[in-house]
Amino acid sequence: MNISNDNEFKAALGKLAGVRQRQIAALFAESVLALCTDHRLKAAIDSAKRVDATKDELAAAFQSAKAVSVDSYTQCGHDCNWNKQASHFVAEAVLACFRPGDTSAWDAAMHARMARTCEGIANGEGTDNTETAVQYRILAELLNS
Amino acid sequence: MTASLNKGISVLKEMIDAPMASYFSSCVHCGLCAEACLFYTETGDPKYTPIYKLEPLRRVYKQEYTLLGRLGKMLGLSKPVTDEELEEWKPLVYDSCTMCGRCSLVCPVGNDIVYMVRKLREGMAISGHAPEGLIGASKRAVEIGSPMGVKLPAVKAQMKHVQQDTGIEIPLDVVGAEYMVLMSSMEIINFPEYLAAVAKIMKQAGKSWTLCSEAFEATNSGIQIGVSDIAKVLVQRIVDGAEKLKVKTVISPECGHAYTALRWEGPNLVGRPYSFEVLHILEVLDGFRNAGLLKTTGFEEAKLTFHDPCQLVRRGGVIEEPRRLLNLVAKDYVETSDPGKMNWCCGGGGGVSAIEEAEELRFTAFKVKKTQLEQTGAKTLVTACANCRIVLEEGLEHYKMDIPVVGLTETIAAHLVEGE
Repeated sequence: MNISNDNEFKAALGKLAGVRQRQIAALFAESVLALCTDHRLKAAIDSAKRVDATKDELAAAFQSAKAVSVDSYTQCGHDCNWNKQASHFVAEAVLACFRPGDTSAWDAAMHARMARTCEGIANGEGTDNTETAVQYRILAELLNS
Repeated sequence: MTASLNKGISVLKEMIDAPMASYFSSCVHCGLCAEACLFYTETGDPKYTPIYKLEPLRRVYKQEYTLLGRLGKMLGLSKPVTDEELEEWKPLVYDSCTMCGRCSLVCPVGNDIVYMVRKLREGMAISGHAPEGLIGASKRAVEIGSPMGVKLPAVKAQMKHVQQDTGIEIPLDVVGAEYMVLMSSMEIINFPEYLAAVAKIMKQAGKSWTLCSEAFEATNSGIQIGVSDIAKVLVQRIVDGAEKLKVKTVISPECGHAYTALRWEGPNLVGRPYSFEVLHILEVLDGFRNAGLLKTTGFEEAKLTFHDPCQLVRRGGVIEEPRRLLNLVAKDYVETSDPGKMNWCCGGGGGVSAIEEAEELRFTAFKVKKTQLEQTGAKTLVTACANCRIVLEEGLEHYKMDIPVVGLTETIAAHLVEGE
């Protein structure tokens, strides 16, 4: 299967259920993990990717990702460091892995793209986001495997 | 006396107008304002009594504008306000006052203590006794256009992101649009879901709207630090943008003090009435609801409660609007104690969240909110201010309470009937 636009991407993600949603969400988050240095997210992603992760493990992973998310907010009135802000959206992408419903993978994808957008703003680049193509490829590989 | 102190005292003298004089002369020292202030109730420290925070200003009032005070000053019997004293008062005037207005509401003689704090901050700032965090935010607001350093390319990047997410084009600089939507830097940086929600709602309501490249920022750090000249520049920027685009209504975002600054203080700051209307996003959404333009489906599964942003309820009277909106999507809704106009502040308003030195005190003050939330048993907390939202999230995380915090606009948008 080949994915070339967001309509196909969203439709394909919408067909994934339960654990598969979580796993693909984790792959999207993992793709931007380098933008965050907090080691807690790596462990949370590993839990999200595992098919046999227990409820308690997932709850613990969610909590640690939540803590990173809150820690990495840019607070009101503070000078925004867009590189650091990218960390926040990586954490949000990880958090999306653990949210119930059939949009968690899409939400993780959007947060991952936002993390990449923050990196682009920090580097003074344009608004083109290469993460979109990366996500199409990740999903296609998963569906074709 | 240093030149900056001299300037500060002069400003304080100018600030003492008729209302201020009547407030000082009518205070009966009852202490009710203390019981209304979360910094006093959660610490028990009498120095956080709101009226006491105004002591330097009261002294200037007494020495300059009362007969006995002037005599005392002439005879060298009264103590002049010094730089050391103002520096000592800085944490009381800034770190421990969110300008939430609860004290003003309970004052039995009608003293608007927030108004007085706001005026005292004018003298504090001019004399060089404002917190570094607020000074930096104010400089960025004037020089860059955002207290958090957000520039137009970042806004455009977020617009593009939201367009990808929603499939809806985000309009920019559309002359003649009905609504001009403002955002806070917090929403641009932390909460792209706000813009996405506005786009979805406007599409369903069939309304024309636009962002403005020259005035996308709603917040006003001039109000927080207490420098009217800065506040005026920031309001004027919005007025110029709105008039250039010929919009009918400017929408203040989910930000408490931005609403106060633009709607209530703005016309006085720029010295003339606006040629457009200013509404908070919740007022706009409630208007859409009333006109049958908000079509929602389904209900939130979790038990919800609402945190009233102080500036909306106490300064703006926006109390029933959020409740009517929540009624569209919440079956299991519970009020906190003291809801609406008497709601307790999150602890981070009035610029407090921008002051790093105030963090520990802010977490202590948050205990009142923690208790309120524990009593409700709510599983999700909804609010309508991006600053409240982060302060609440930080407080909940600090006290290990697992309650998600969401914005009301995005909550409504999540329930819109698709394809409408």
